[in-house]
Amino acid sequence: MAQLSVENVTLVFGGLAALSAVSLEVEKGELVSIIGPNGAGKTSLLNCISGFYHPTRGRIRFEDHDLTRASPHTATRYGIARAFQNIELFSGLSVLENLLLARYTHLNYGLLPAALYYGRAQNAEIEARRQVEEVIDFMELEPYRKELVGNLPYGVRKRVEVARALALGPKLLLLDEPMAGMTLEEKEDMVRFILDIRAERGTTIVLIEHDLGVVMDISDRVYVLDFGEVIAEGPPEEVAQDPRVLEAYVGGAA
Amino acid sequence: MRNPWAETGNYKTSYRQDTAIFATYLEMLSLWALVALLLVLPFFLKRPQVFVLDLILVYSLAVLGLNITTGYAGLINIGQAAFVGVGAYTAALLAPSLPFWLTVPIGGLAGAVAGGIVGIPSLRIKHLYLAIATLAFQIIFEWTVGHSTILKQGGAIAMPRVEFLGYKVGYKNHYYFWYYVILLVVVLLAFAFRNLLRTRYGRALVAVRDNDRAADAMGMHPGLTKIFAFALGGFYAGVAGALYAYLSRAVVIEDYMLPVSIKFLAMAIVGGLGSIVGSFLGPAFLVLLDLNMEDLANWLKSLGLSYAGVDIASAMRPLTFGLVIVLFLIFEPRGLANWWRLVRNFFRNWPFKY
Repeated sequence: MAQLSVENVTLVFGGLAALSAVSLEVEKGELVSIIGPNGAGKTSLLNCISGFYHPTRGRIRFEDHDLTRASPHTATRYGIARAFQNIELFSGLSVLENLLLARYTHLNYGLLPAALYYGRAQNAEIEARRQVEEVIDFMELEPYRKELVGNLPYGVRKRVEVARALALGPKLLLLDEPMAGMTLEEKEDMVRFILDIRAERGTTIVLIEHDLGVVMDISDRVYVLDFGEVIAEGPPEEVAQDPRVLEAYVGGAA
Repeated sequence: MRNPWAETGNYKTSYRQDTAIFATYLEMLSLWALVALLLVLPFFLKRPQVFVLDLILVYSLAVLGLNITTGYAGLINIGQAAFVGVGAYTAALLAPSLPFWLTVPIGGLAGAVAGGIVGIPSLRIKHLYLAIATLAFQIIFEWTVGHSTILKQGGAIAMPRVEFLGYKVGYKNHYYFWYYVILLVVVLLAFAFRNLLRTRYGRALVAVRDNDRAADAMGMHPGLTKIFAFALGGFYAGVAGALYAYLSRAVVIEDYMLPVSIKFLAMAIVGGLGSIVGSFLGPAFLVLLDLNMEDLANWLKSLGLSYAGVDIASAMRPLTFGLVIVLFLIFEPRGLANWWRLVRNFFRNWPFKY
C-alpha cells in the first residue's frame, strides 16, 4: 500500500474548482514531482495534503491516518513536513531558533521544569540542539546559525526553510518550489541537498518545481497537473513525450 | 585563552554553555550586584521614596505580563489593568481569611484564568479585532465591579495589615516590608520568564507572533498557544494586582480602569516591546518622569510663573506623558531596551576591544 494516497480529491472555492478528482499515490522512499503551468493547482494540492485546505470531496490518507479533515499541526504530528513556496519563516528569530521550533512536538517537558530550566527541560533542550545542529551541518548553514532570519539573503532563507522542514524529522517531505528564483549554483546545491536527504534519511519527497530539467533528472515519477486535473503521470521520460503535456506547456499543435 | 570576565571570543565547547544566560562572569556579577544594591537601597531612602520603588517594581511585573502577551506573542492587549484588577480583587476577597503568601499566588491564578478566557476569541480573530476583545474585557470588568455589592461597587475595600512569622507589619515598616516581598517575587518571576524564553514555550510565543501558518506547520496549535500567552500574561498581571492591593492597603476601581491599561501599554512601548529589561526601564522612566514633572511644576510656581486658576502640575503631567510616547514612537520605537543593548554591547569586550 502506498505511503501517501490522495483519492479523487476535489477542492472548490466558490464556483471555481481548483482541483477536480485528483488522485495521486506515493510509495515510501519515492521522489515524486508535481509539475504544471501556473495556476494548475499544484500548491492547492500540497495545501490539502499538509492540512491547510480541506478537500471538498475525496479522501487523503497517510500511512494509517486519515488526513482529509486534519489540521496542519496534526499532519505535522503524523510526520509530514512542508517547505513553503513563499518563505514562511519566523523572521524575528535566529536560524537556530527557527530550527529548534521544528523540534516543538519532540519536546514534552512541563511548564514548571521549563520555568526553572532544570533537569529534564535542560537535557531535552540540549538534545534538541544536538539534532538541530545535525541538520545545520547537513544543510551547510553553519555561518548563519545565530543570524536573524529576516536579515539573511533570499537563497539562504530558502535553504533555512528546507532545513526547518527537515528538522521536524519527517517521514514525508513536501517541497514547494524550493529552487524558485535561485541562481544556477544555488539550484545545484539545493538539488544535491534533496538527493542527499533521500539517500541518507530515506525520506519520501514530493516536489513541486518549474525547472523541468531538474524535475526530469531527479524524479522517480512525475505528475502533471493542468487546470486542476492530472493530465499525465509516470516516469519522467514517458511524461516528457506525452502529447497532452506538450500541449499544456507549449500550446496546441500548430 | 578564555577570559572569564570579558567575551574576547567564542570559547564555548558545549551546547549547555551556549544556552547559558550569562556569557561571562562579569555579566552574572553585575546582575547580582544590582540585586544586592536593590536589597540595601531602602536603608538609604525615606518612606515616600521606598513607596516609589515599590510602585516601579509592581508596575514592572504588570508590564512584564503585558510584554509576554503583546511584546512576545504579538497579541495587542488593551485590558492589562483589568487583569491586574482581577488579581487585586481576588486578593481583597481572600485576604481576611488567608495569609498573603497564599492570596498572592491565587490572585495570579485568577488572572491566568481570566487571561485564558479572554484569549478564547484568538482561536478565530487576529490583530486589531482581537485587541477590541481585550478592550471589551476591560469594559466588562469595570461594569461588573461597579455593579457588585460584594466588591463595594468599586469603592475602597480595605486590605488588612499582614503578619509574617510573628512580625507585625505596621505603618512604619509597611513600604519596607512590601518592598522586599515584591522584589523577591519580581526577581523570581523575571527569571522564570527568562528561562521560559529558552525553551519550547518561549519560542512558541514568538512563533505565533511572527508567523501563524508556519507555527501551525511546526506542530503546535496556534490558537491554544495564544490562549497560553494570554494566561501567562494574566498570571503576571494577577500577581502584580494582588501585591498592589496589599501595597496600597485598599482596592479601588480607579486603579484598574482603562487609562491605567493605556499607561501600561505606554510603559511597555517606552521600555521596548518584547524585552525583559524594557519591562523594568519603561515603568521606572515613566514613574520618575511623572514625579519630576510635579517637582518641576512646583518649582515653576515658586518662580511666580503660574497663572491664577491654572494648575501647572495637572497640565504638565499628561502633556509630558503624551510627548514622551510620541517622541519614543518616532525616534526610538525599540524603546529604552535598545539603548541598554547598545551600552551592553559596548562594554561586552571593553576595554580589550581587539
